[in-house]
Amino acid sequence: MEHMSLTERILRGIALTLVVLFFMFPLFWIFLMSFQTNETILRIPPSLFFEPTLINYTSLITGELQTQAGSLKIEFMKNLGNSVLLSVCSVAVALVLGVPAAYAFARHKFRGSEDIAFTLLSFRFAPPLLVLLPLTIYFRQIGLDNTYIGLIWVYQLICLPLILWIVRGYFEDISPDIEYAYRIAGHSWFATFRKIALPLAGPGIAAAGLLAFIFAWNNFVFALVLASADKQPVTVGALAFVTASGIQYGQIAAAIVLSIAPTLALALYAQRYLVEGLSLGAVKG
Amino acid sequence: MSDTILSLSKVDKFYGAIGHGVHAVKDLSMDIARGEIVALLGSSGCGKTSTLRMIAGFEEVSRGAISLAGRAIHQLPPVKRNVAMAFEGYSLYPPLNVRENIAFALKSARLPQAEVDRRVGEVAELLEITGILERMPNSISGGQQQRASLGRALIRNADLHLLDEPMGQLEPQLRAVLRGRIKHFIKERGLTAILVTHDQTEANALADRIAVMEGGVLQQFAAPDVIKEQPSNLFTGTFVGEPPMNVFEAKLSKGDGRIRLKLSAGVALDFEDSAFSDAVRVAIAGRDKIVIGIRPYSVRRAQKGVAAKVAVSQWLGDQTHIAADFAGGLIVLVEHDRARLKPGDPISVDIDPSSLHIFDASNGKAIAHGRELA
Amino acid sequence: MTTLELKNLSRSYNGKPVIDDLTLSIAGGETLVLFGPSGAGKSVLLRLIAGVVEPDKGQILIGGRDVTADEPDQRGVGMAFQNFALFPHMSAFDNIASPLVAHRKTRDQIRAGVQAVAKLLKIDHVLSHAPKALSNGQKQRTALARALVGQPPILLLDDPLRNVDAKLRFEMRLELPRLLANRGATVIYVTQDYKEAMALGDRIAVLHEGCIAQLGTPEEIYLAPKSVSIARLFGDPTINLLDVTPKADPLGVFAEVSDRPLRIFGCDASVAGRECVLGLRPESIRFIGGDVKGAIPVEIEAETPLNEKTVTLALTRGKRELLISRPAGTPGPVSGTAHVAVDERAAMLFDRATGMRIGGETAASLAKGEAA
Repeated sequence: MEHMSLTERILRGIALTLVVLFFMFPLFWIFLMSFQTNETILRIPPSLFFEPTLINYTSLITGELQTQAGSLKIEFMKNLGNSVLLSVCSVAVALVLGVPAAYAFARHKFRGSEDIAFTLLSFRFAPPLLVLLPLTIYFRQIGLDNTYIGLIWVYQLICLPLILWIVRGYFEDISPDIEYAYRIAGHSWFATFRKIALPLAGPGIAAAGLLAFIFAWNNFVFALVLASADKQPVTVGALAFVTASGIQYGQIAAAIVLSIAPTLALALYAQRYLVEGLSLGAVKG
Repeated sequence: MSDTILSLSKVDKFYGAIGHGVHAVKDLSMDIARGEIVALLGSSGCGKTSTLRMIAGFEEVSRGAISLAGRAIHQLPPVKRNVAMAFEGYSLYPPLNVRENIAFALKSARLPQAEVDRRVGEVAELLEITGILERMPNSISGGQQQRASLGRALIRNADLHLLDEPMGQLEPQLRAVLRGRIKHFIKERGLTAILVTHDQTEANALADRIAVMEGGVLQQFAAPDVIKEQPSNLFTGTFVGEPPMNVFEAKLSKGDGRIRLKLSAGVALDFEDSAFSDAVRVAIAGRDKIVIGIRPYSVRRAQKGVAAKVAVSQWLGDQTHIAADFAGGLIVLVEHDRARLKPGDPISVDIDPSSLHIFDASNGKAIAHGRELA
Repeated sequence: MTTLELKNLSRSYNGKPVIDDLTLSIAGGETLVLFGPSGAGKSVLLRLIAGVVEPDKGQILIGGRDVTADEPDQRGVGMAFQNFALFPHMSAFDNIASPLVAHRKTRDQIRAGVQAVAKLLKIDHVLSHAPKALSNGQKQRTALARALVGQPPILLLDDPLRNVDAKLRFEMRLELPRLLANRGATVIYVTQDYKEAMALGDRIAVLHEGCIAQLGTPEEIYLAPKSVSIARLFGDPTINLLDVTPKADPLGVFAEVSDRPLRIFGCDASVAGRECVLGLRPESIRFIGGDVKGAIPVEIEAETPLNEKTVTLALTRGKRELLISRPAGTPGPVSGTAHVAVDERAAMLFDRATGMRIGGETAASLAKGEAA
């Protein structure tokens, strides 16, 4: 990039701006919408200028939604709590199960290990709705439908393959000699896993956990089918804004802003881990 | 040099902001003549690879200018510099087989097929990769990939060939054979080449001139024998030469027509005044401390001499390397026969003043080499 | 002093044998050098002994005890790796201390142990640094300190000087014998550098395709190599190899070089007429004043300096290349025709078809004489 002429620089700048505009505009528009009432949102032509209002946020937080048809109770905050609970627990379970499995797949080439690893990955390929139909019936029979445990279990379909495959790559990047050296020094294999493999793959595990969290958070279909109102995450809960008296765009926008805030904050915070994780790939000692 | 093809003038390289970041190459100026082979020699982090990458165009020149064949090239992208490069790591195009990789530049230049085949065959024979020309890069060994990369660079008719540790992955025996052949190949075609290496044997065998670098600074730029016999400073003196030069700090005292060099641990070397030339005597007259360097093959065992005790004696087939406890450290001797010495054996060593290298104790600059001033 | 025995050890990867039915016995306190080109199986063999790679077949005995089934942490070996394999997230101190920590030593013992070995290796001033803040030489010494600190009876050194610069490599080559002798450990040292092998090894095992091609003292290997390929691995510049067909007469066996007969010792008349390869070490050829008896005329081509030696490339009358080396600074011809004499007792004869050496009592007895 050091050999660019002025025109190249300008063209590059324009291209970058276009890309940023294209991707950021919807987010920006939603952010603006969340400070407007339905009337200002729906006026024609749309305008960038309006009197900002916090009514959408207050109604979401208090759970009282004022519409022309009267007041409506919504459980948005409860949904937000559900989202946090489901995502955090799913990722935690997936990490506990997935990291040791990833280590095993990375270090021990046993018969059929590639096949098993691929089978696990293939869970990601299956259309969720196809899986859901039989699953719903089974869950109902064993009493797992509409429970947090059941949902967290199903969420493993999202989180586990992701963590397994990303973390496995990080483990494979650690030179086996480093682990050998620790074993030969007199430590057990478990100590080697804990003191060498885990810390060295740490950034990768953090990155995989973060991605899994985002995927879990954004999941819609599983919760839609398997959870009733009190167990619903925000993605499903947002349907409540499509009311009999019209779609509450302002509240939806505010709900979106609130629901992407945690993942956005997490992603920004973890960014440096992600970068560190990539640069640590060159662990040569 | 009469016919300069490459010229670096006052080149600096900073990683990070100019004046603040890591100063990898410092105020480097050098001219290389057409048809010359130059080796950039130094340990890792000395700035040799940064220099090469700036010439190739993979790194920006922070300050200064580079010109090649009369054109200023430091602003040009790599493809417009007419420079061929062989990489240390493997850099073959994975979807092409070895033959296509080597022929790549010639194909792009639309040379007739017969000509391409002839030249690929020639280079492949030179590098002993004829048998793997149809193989894919991922199916051959590291050493073979490196030779293919070298072949891809050598086959071109570029203004300048850059070779970055081109033989680092090869077996020592093959390396020894290829050195001679590659030099012959380059010289026969009148190519100009810059070789980056940390291996002085390679630099000595291939290069017309060696540029010794350390800490981003060019230490000395001269023919191999000049570097060896007249190192410009302590760094070059101890870096070049295998085994490395013996170095001792010495306190200087004079009187009674004698010069006495007091080393540590009570060891002293006594010389007649006449052992040094007048010019050298004048140059060291005002100093009370100097650093002396003695090449291992200039140290001899003798009946009369300074006492030392053998620490190890290693026979290598055609040479014996002896290290002896001497003046609080080790002194290394090279003998060309088998010396039957055991650890602990007493020996006495004789140091010929005409083989002494004398350096300034404060800045390491060379003062004298034997009877000649530096 | 702990002995180490390997019995019929085999290990293959993807159906290709890397170590093939290898048997080797190493005396207590001995330094054995494993020497061979890359891919010969040297590193795999070390890893088998350390226990981080499992053998397909065979036994490993340390001090007479069968450890084949033992975990690496139970074997009591120390190992230094070619790529150092330092723990990147630990300081140099913690790196070196890890064997002591594993053996549950007290804090004071750990501190004292690390300090002592660090001082010996001159890295006591960088103990608080992280590996990436260390120079290559310091990394190498840290790795060595980690291998030494627990005073393991078996020490495995996997080409530890490969990745350090020439100067340091030379210094370590001089230092290591003293360091190892003081420890009394049994050492297996892997290297690709024949000089390191000859300088450090009590014995050298030349490994070729997973088997031991020759096992012997440095003298035996250098002066009496079993085959052409072993002869080529030792010596710099490499040995001259000339195709010859020896002739026999009542005086002895002769090979022709530049149409002049060269006496070959140590083989009988049966080699006459066989296709052979004559091996002449460059340093066993010397320039002589003129065309005296036994002189071989050569044409001088080029001269290059090589580590305190001057190497001359010459052509025989049959246009075959001959490398001749002499101490740097001694006089020698630079062009034209010159005459050389060969130290006949150092000449070696190999069978061209098999590559194996023919006869060779002379060189063997020479080796014995050298060793005495």
